[in-house]
Amino acid sequence: MVSLLKRSLAIISILVIGYWLAQGLAGVPFGEDKMLVGHYYLQHVKEQTGAVNAVTAVVVNYRGLDTLGEVTVLFIASTGVAALLWRKKRERTAKVGGSPVLTVGTKFLVPFVMLFGAYIFIHGHLTPGGGFPGGATIATAFLLLYMAFTIYEIPHKAFEKVEGLAGMGYVLVGLIGLAIGGYFLFDWIWQDWQWGVDNIGRLFSGGFIPIIYTIIGIKVGTELSGIVDNMLKEEVRE
Amino acid sequence: MEEASKVSRYLYTAIVLFLIWLFLTASLDPQELAIGAVMSIVVAAFSYELFTTRGLGNLHPRRVAYAIAYIPYFLWAMIMANLDVAYRVLHPKRPINPGIVECKTVLETGAGKLALANSITLTPGTITLDIDGDKYFIHWIDVKDSSVEGASQNITRPFEKFLKVIFG
Repeated sequence: MVSLLKRSLAIISILVIGYWLAQGLAGVPFGEDKMLVGHYYLQHVKEQTGAVNAVTAVVVNYRGLDTLGEVTVLFIASTGVAALLWRKKRERTAKVGGSPVLTVGTKFLVPFVMLFGAYIFIHGHLTPGGGFPGGATIATAFLLLYMAFTIYEIPHKAFEKVEGLAGMGYVLVGLIGLAIGGYFLFDWIWQDWQWGVDNIGRLFSGGFIPIIYTIIGIKVGTELSGIVDNMLKEEVRE
Repeated sequence: MEEASKVSRYLYTAIVLFLIWLFLTASLDPQELAIGAVMSIVVAAFSYELFTTRGLGNLHPRRVAYAIAYIPYFLWAMIMANLDVAYRVLHPKRPINPGIVECKTVLETGAGKLALANSITLTPGTITLDIDGDKYFIHWIDVKDSSVEGASQNITRPFEKFLKVIFG
């Protein structure tokens, strides 16, 4: 008896849930294109942002506040790593240096890796890429240095200052937009100054996208280098 | 080895970086050139101390000419080594005689040693296992001569002719 009651209750509730779902889906016109926001972006991206790379325009311009949030998430992650691994005295403890191939190769590659990172974030509004991969590439150069040389350490003081300045720079760009255009992260360079209107598709275009991506690239690069530093050092007992 | 002046090292790094920038952007747009120049100058400031000890001396015409001549020379050596290994693989009797030999190099700079190690590894049939001072330990698919002098004659000498001039 009990099981029959249970079963019928289950069947009834499934029917009710099924009816709700069917009702909800009945309003969706299948077979029609519902990508309204995407189409809007694709049709207006050039005149509204000056960037030919629509993905970058969405990430930095239309959804700039989200990206500021992402940068904050990365900052919190880096702070978290530093807090978790904090010890009174930590030093590099690696005993075996890199082989000649690694050390000489590192010396040779570091400038190229840095330049390539800069290339990625400067061309964010033209090519795939942007501040995040560019910054990660730059951090790779410092990772190489850490692997090749047992005594190497990043200049902490300078890195912390640069990272803080980059973070403030992002907010400052947004606040200038607020003062000029009336909302936070308003693209004043493109909308107000009309700077680079004749240059769409060339380097000097895209409004504040290259500026913000440069800031993000510097911030991500210094931050990830800091994480690498934190993870490679070990506690030293006196 | 004597070090070149800071200015010379800095300029050399910036010039090389600017050339790399030209390859990356593949464009002669003045805007790209301007930003490329700025970025080369900035990145060179961070990295010139690591990158070079000889500075502009690297751009000596003789070095550049040998470096350009080395590219087809090395490609030819690579093609011949590829064919040789392919022959050994396809031959029914598999005529291999593998072993590890020690070679002595005449190169003195780190960059030269790195280029030699990579050249040896990139030509099939030989792999650089380790470098210790001027001693190279190389795995060779067909050990023709296991003495240090004989192995060097066979493996490292052909490359060193060029690398000695380019890197010293």
